[in-house]
Amino acid sequence: MMDAPTTDRWIRCLNLLQLVLAGIIIMTPTVWMVLSSFKPSFEVTAYPPTLIFSPTMENYLQLTRTTPFVSYAVNSLIVTIGSTALGLLFGVPAAFAVSWTRISWPAILTLAARMAPGTLFLLPWYVMFRQVGMIGSYTALILSHAVITLPIVIWVLLPSFDSIPRSVFEAAQVDGCSVTRILWRIALPLVASGVAVAAILAFVFSWNYFLFALVLSNGDTKTLIAAAFNFIGEGSTQWGALMAAATLIALPPLILAALVQRWLVSGLTLGAVKG
Amino acid sequence: MASISIRNLVKRYGSFTVIPDLNLEIADHEFVVFVGPSGCGKSTLLRIIAGLEPMTAGDLYIGDKRVNGVQAAQRDIAMVFQDYALYPHMRVYDNMSFALELRGTPKAEIDARVRRAAALLHIEPYLDRKPKELSGGQRQRVAMGRAIVRNPKAFLFDEPLSNLDAKLRGQVRAEIKALSQELKTTMVFVTHDQIEAMTMADRIVVLQGGVVQQYDTPETVYERPANQFVAGFIGSPAMNFFPVEWRDDRVVLSQIGAAVPLDDASSRRLQKAGNGVLGIRPEHFGVVTDPADGIAVNVKLVEPLGSDTLIHFDLAGVSAIARVDPELRPRLGDRLSVRPQPGKIHLFDGNSGEVLR
Repeated sequence: MMDAPTTDRWIRCLNLLQLVLAGIIIMTPTVWMVLSSFKPSFEVTAYPPTLIFSPTMENYLQLTRTTPFVSYAVNSLIVTIGSTALGLLFGVPAAFAVSWTRISWPAILTLAARMAPGTLFLLPWYVMFRQVGMIGSYTALILSHAVITLPIVIWVLLPSFDSIPRSVFEAAQVDGCSVTRILWRIALPLVASGVAVAAILAFVFSWNYFLFALVLSNGDTKTLIAAAFNFIGEGSTQWGALMAAATLIALPPLILAALVQRWLVSGLTLGAVKG
Repeated sequence: MASISIRNLVKRYGSFTVIPDLNLEIADHEFVVFVGPSGCGKSTLLRIIAGLEPMTAGDLYIGDKRVNGVQAAQRDIAMVFQDYALYPHMRVYDNMSFALELRGTPKAEIDARVRRAAALLHIEPYLDRKPKELSGGQRQRVAMGRAIVRNPKAFLFDEPLSNLDAKLRGQVRAEIKALSQELKTTMVFVTHDQIEAMTMADRIVVLQGGVVQQYDTPETVYERPANQFVAGFIGSPAMNFFPVEWRDDRVVLSQIGAAVPLDDASSRRLQKAGNGVLGIRPEHFGVVTDPADGIAVNVKLVEPLGSDTLIHFDLAGVSAIARVDPELRPRLGDRLSVRPQPGKIHLFDGNSGEVLR
């Protein structure tokens, strides 16, 4: 039989081992991607992989020389910010309404829409947007990406609104607030961290979404993630440039997540009101 | 300031009826306390008055205005909630000024009213603090301050003292009572604590199953309860009840046949009914020295309270309590003779529980 301190030590060691393993599994592809982006082209796919190499900016230079990378980045920003804003505009009142009325089916419906494969929407949308001449427009991309952002906003904010004691809303009603005013003056300030989390998650998911942009954009509105696909050719793939592009694409969500890490965790666990 | 009139009010949740048919008149400036056990419908009734809960049928008047279907925001009432329901993101000052700001009250007047209410409730030093920086008692005062700055037609209190410790509860209870006398506004207070009801109310509404059991002054409710439920609910420790009947030209305890020494008027009432339930408050048991004058009991538990002492004993198969003089110094196992004080007994119908008249 082990005594209690020995057992605790073992548990701590096993926990650490789990974390290290999970970290390796998550970080290996990312580290691989970043290292590869600094390798000369011939070394990217070398086998066995080289860990010691002379770093080069060749892939990044090729990326900016051969593609309108900045334009794609701007397109990505427009679509992502637009769809996040749209998601917040409709998602915040929707989440509040679901929490207020305790009628949950609209929220479940949006979640079901989010869980459905993107191709389910893509073909009807393609036909519809083509008929109204919107293929390749920012509007079509923003609207389609709202299908990603809206459920995220609703489902992140719903527990936030639910965690506000009902009596606080009732006190506001008795004080003379309309429901709309309760949302703006009472509920929203109380779920500010939740709104930030919802906005960041919506931004990241929209930024990373590939399928809609691939089909609904054109040369002028192509987003970064869809443009990166161009490096995969039928005969040869420019792995170095692809890795450089992937590294740059991954940067904004990573930086954003790192900046608001603490807020993200507290926003997801919630319970900010009671006490 | 306004009266509140509830007429034929019905409240159902689906097929479950909370309030079957309730009528109540609360006068202007009156302090009325709704009291009753959990689930009796008292909070539901208060929320209906506030406009936070729709009624199934009936009419509700605040002042002369019928307010059926009128939103809570338009009823011009103020409410203090059990958990205080302060706005966590606002300072105390903003919590108190919020309702006035919504009504477009000029800033100078808002400031004057908030500071006057803060002075009245002794919360001036906390005006710049957030609710989470306050103690329970301070939050409670802020909640009251938020209500009184508005100068509403009526104040509604939904068990506002239940989250406070015993000492603070007594203090705030006295403050609310003093406030009601100063503000002279209609107040409706919900509690399950009969001491709060007795000490604060002008009139008490005792509710059970959504039905008003008695609506009267605290003294009347205590001294002349309308039925066995009210008698048992009001008073601590609760009234003792014993089944009694008229047998051989005297009143006897049904189970043991022992004679109960009652006054003539009470004896006549029971003679008329044949049987019933005898109610005696613990403080209305007298300990007598001559065993022939009372009923002999064995003391099975002693609870010294300082000002008086509670003794527990079994009588006619019923566990009973008597409140006696601490000087008596009763001990566990002592044999005492007890008898109801003349004129202080209550008789209820054995079936309906209504008082026998």
